Amino acid sequence: MPTVDIAPDELRDLTGHDEKSDDELIEDLFALGLEYEGETEEGEFELEFAPDRLDRLSVEGVARSLRYQYGDARGVYVPKTNSPDWTITVDESVPDERPYVTGAVVRDVNLDEDALDSLIQLQEKLHATMGRKRAKGAIGIHDMTMLKGSPATEGNPSVRYTGVEPDEDRFVPLDSDKDLTPGEVLEEHATGEKYADLVRDNDRYPAIYDDLGLFSFPPVINGRRTEVSEESRDLFVELTGTDQWTIDKMCVIICYALSARGGTIEEVTVEYPDGRPDGRDLVRPNLETKTKTVSHDRVETILGIDFDPEEVVDLAERAGLDAETGENEDGDLVYEMTIPPYRVDVLHPMDVIDDLGRAYGFNELEPRYPDVGTVGGRHERTRLEDAARTQLVGLGFEDLLNFHMINETENFSRMGLASGEEAFGAGESTTIKEPYSEDYTMLRTWVLPSLMMVLENNTHRAYPQDLAEIGFAARVDVEGEDEANTETGVDESRHVSAVLASHDAAYEDAKARLQALVRNFGGELETPATEHPTFIDGRTAAVVVDGEEVGVIGEVHPKVLVEHDLEVPVAAFEFDLESLA
Amino acid sequence: MQLPHAQAAVIQTVSADEAQPVDALARATDLPVETVTGAVFELEEQALVAVTERVEESIELTDEGVAYADGDLPEVTLYRAALDAGADDEPVSMGQVIGSSGLEGAQVDIALSNYARKGYGVIDSGEITADLDADPDADSEATALETLAAGDGDATDATDIDDDTIEQLERRGLLERSESTVREATLTDEGVTVLMEGIEESQTVGQVTPELLTSGEWEDAEFSAYNVEADAERIEGGKVHILRQTANRVKDVLVGMGFQEMEGPHADADFWINDCLFMPQDHPARTHWDRFALENPTHIDDLPEDLVERVERAHREGVGDDGEGYHSPWDEDFARALALRGHTTSLSARYLSGTEIGELEPPQRYFSVEKVYRNDTLDPTHLLEFFQIEGWVMADDLSVRDLMGTFEEFYAQFGITDIEFKPHYNPYTEPSFELFGTHPTTGELVEIGNSGLFREEMLEPLGVECDVMAWGLALERLLMLMYGFEDIRDIHGTLCDLELLRETEVTY
Repeated sequence: MPTVDIAPDELRDLTGHDEKSDDELIEDLFALGLEYEGETEEGEFELEFAPDRLDRLSVEGVARSLRYQYGDARGVYVPKTNSPDWTITVDESVPDERPYVTGAVVRDVNLDEDALDSLIQLQEKLHATMGRKRAKGAIGIHDMTMLKGSPATEGNPSVRYTGVEPDEDRFVPLDSDKDLTPGEVLEEHATGEKYADLVRDNDRYPAIYDDLGLFSFPPVINGRRTEVSEESRDLFVELTGTDQWTIDKMCVIICYALSARGGTIEEVTVEYPDGRPDGRDLVRPNLETKTKTVSHDRVETILGIDFDPEEVVDLAERAGLDAETGENEDGDLVYEMTIPPYRVDVLHPMDVIDDLGRAYGFNELEPRYPDVGTVGGRHERTRLEDAARTQLVGLGFEDLLNFHMINETENFSRMGLASGEEAFGAGESTTIKEPYSEDYTMLRTWVLPSLMMVLENNTHRAYPQDLAEIGFAARVDVEGEDEANTETGVDESRHVSAVLASHDAAYEDAKARLQALVRNFGGELETPATEHPTFIDGRTAAVVVDGEEVGVIGEVHPKVLVEHDLEVPVAAFEFDLESLA
Repeated sequence: MQLPHAQAAVIQTVSADEAQPVDALARATDLPVETVTGAVFELEEQALVAVTERVEESIELTDEGVAYADGDLPEVTLYRAALDAGADDEPVSMGQVIGSSGLEGAQVDIALSNYARKGYGVIDSGEITADLDADPDADSEATALETLAAGDGDATDATDIDDDTIEQLERRGLLERSESTVREATLTDEGVTVLMEGIEESQTVGQVTPELLTSGEWEDAEFSAYNVEADAERIEGGKVHILRQTANRVKDVLVGMGFQEMEGPHADADFWINDCLFMPQDHPARTHWDRFALENPTHIDDLPEDLVERVERAHREGVGDDGEGYHSPWDEDFARALALRGHTTSLSARYLSGTEIGELEPPQRYFSVEKVYRNDTLDPTHLLEFFQIEGWVMADDLSVRDLMGTFEEFYAQFGITDIEFKPHYNPYTEPSFELFGTHPTTGELVEIGNSGLFREEMLEPLGVECDVMAWGLALERLLMLMYGFEDIRDIHGTLCDLELLRETEVTY
């Protein structure tokens, strides 16, 4: 789970609750859904957050939520904004891969060291979550004193979002002294290398210009000229991405955090060229609220208690929402809930009810066992599996549980088997795409390889080792080969697999147990001689239950035993569990 | 006096003057040692013999020790070879000396490590010198070995050898010291009296035989007593795997609470694993890094077309009068891509959609305890495959209180009480809760599950018009909480330790 670092002193400062002890704060944060994981070296709380309330990715946002929880704030708060002076004009040449831009100006911010750290963290956490590692949305924040706007329409200053050839222009990126082209940044700069994949395949790279030149290379890196420091007071915020709504919301969350540091928000105009993406000019940040209609009845059924309308309105305000009572078409009591713009998680009225529950305190609710009668029961397949397992244990086998994932070597070649062979256990394997681990690259086509591996890893343990597993096996269902073609294209089944390993284990011992097992399920067992590369010729038979060939039994071939470092004979059988049904 | 056969034989053999060890009595009576031991104790209880015990020490040479007693110790062999090579004059290359000594394998190491210790010379920088003053014939270890080899394995053989030498030889694995208890019996005065009065052998029976039963002889027979306290042979009975036992326990509890079991594919379309759960397609959990996408086969053939359409609409537009969708891309090709399921909520989606066993009318309860696959880092508490307990309840108007009540009941069955509900976020449930419980032994608060009410964006496309509450939990987590396992890899997978599985107590 992702974490966010919050300094407790800052939290006390921003909420105005100096009297809160660390322990009290931790408890209050748990109630918000922020779980205390530990302390950082700098003495900050490391808090685990759920990725819904992204407005709480900074100390400013967490403090705002706490003020609602403490009752110090009520209802929707939207910071005031000044009318736009600056414009972001969007060129036709902006790369298709990253067509959207948004922004804001924030003036008179009080950026001390803590505030700057918090801003950097918020930026990183937003990149990691909503921004989908900068692919969907990336933020750039600049010191305005270093920006020189080009005169735009009506004489106001503007910056220009455009596309450049990889080596068309040069700028000095952050954390560097060198003049580099965007193409060189991807090769030579640490941050550039990290995010190179996001733009490398573009014909043109995203770039933002002011009158002096290129100052931002989104989503990779900002220019050094406009770097923000503790001395910065007026900030220019720009975001680019693949979705307008997403970058607008990220922008709003940044603006709320800067507003909590004393900043005044000034709108910017975003001018898209005709027909691209929808040819409209936007005024940003978009601090519009939205509304959701929540029925009183639903609030009561979900939370399981009765409420007065005043109580619901009160809970809404304590959750940072505004609520007005009204009636729907049927004359039932409903609430028109106003949602502040920093909330990205409210998609449905149910999300508002969750807010009301949190404000009420879910742990205040009395649990009750639902008054709903149903009849329980096991699935036939697992009942069969358990019945067979009970028989195997009765026959003296240790029941095992192995992984369903394996690799080709263990599944086939170490068993002396090839996947294309006409033999039980062979078949086309279900393979994993780009596996991390070479040990787990496919689903096992049979279970015996797993049992052989357990024997291999336990040669230091006492014999006899009589082991069995009733387990999952799968192979690709080649069309036309089987009558019953499965829906997913993977033929999944359960196999009964058993090994007897001891100094005198022999075919007869395995057969005696197989007979007992099949007999207990009323099946008719035949074992006609067959050949199988895993077993010794002349000591191998097909397992035929009720006339159908379903498996194999035999003495494991010495070459397979030696391959598994075994110094005792092994008799084994494996067959399809369904044959016992 | 009547005594059983063994006791009668022993009392007639044991002497009043000289204590005799049990094995001597066994030889004299031609009875097994265990039988004689039993008889001696029986007689002692009747005060007819007195038993004394003493601990006897024995010293025996190991095979290696015998070999050196016959020939030379390796260091002595090395010394002689060094002398032959002229190492008393000036250092000689070690390789040359070892080559001519005929020492091989482990013996070389043994020779080198003892050579300098015993002052035969110096080994430095690959060269060896021999000290002319050393006398291999006076080597105390060699002499001791010879003495012991000539003796009869008794501790008295070592009387003339000093303790340091014995200990040194034991460290070198050339001899083994062991202690055994020797029991000796003498006839008591009462025993003498009884013996004088005459002993009759009572008829005792060793084994119940078919003949004994059919002939009716059993009526007069006296059964010889066994040493019922003695340890018997160790046998390994089979046992259901501990994780299976725990899974079955969970299934029993859930069936008892009215839940029906679900079943379905392990390799499934992302549509069932994620899209039906209102998981946006660009959700971090759906990237390559977290899931096991399949390379072969790659895509499911068929998906229910109208359902796909409804699910896509929910993702794009949301559901309800003022619902909203995600601002994320949605592609049917991705929905059809196959992967190993990351949770068994894919089964819940299949059952709720009605494609599995037909349309479901409320009320319903369903569960599964089945494997899921996560592309995670392997460590003592995380495996790439683990069991997920999945459960859901479908009914009209379910509340958060019903959900809490259900979990309290469920976890109480496993001794986990005082459940706390931490409001949480899940893409497919709202409200959502992480469940915390108190660890039964350590008392700390630990996460034990994840739960919530399925979102309408999930239920509406599936055609469900009532409430469904659901929860998930890792079975391994429950097992570790209940029984205190520390490394899950010891029991699950091919690296499992058979001894641990054999030793593990059963659960019930």
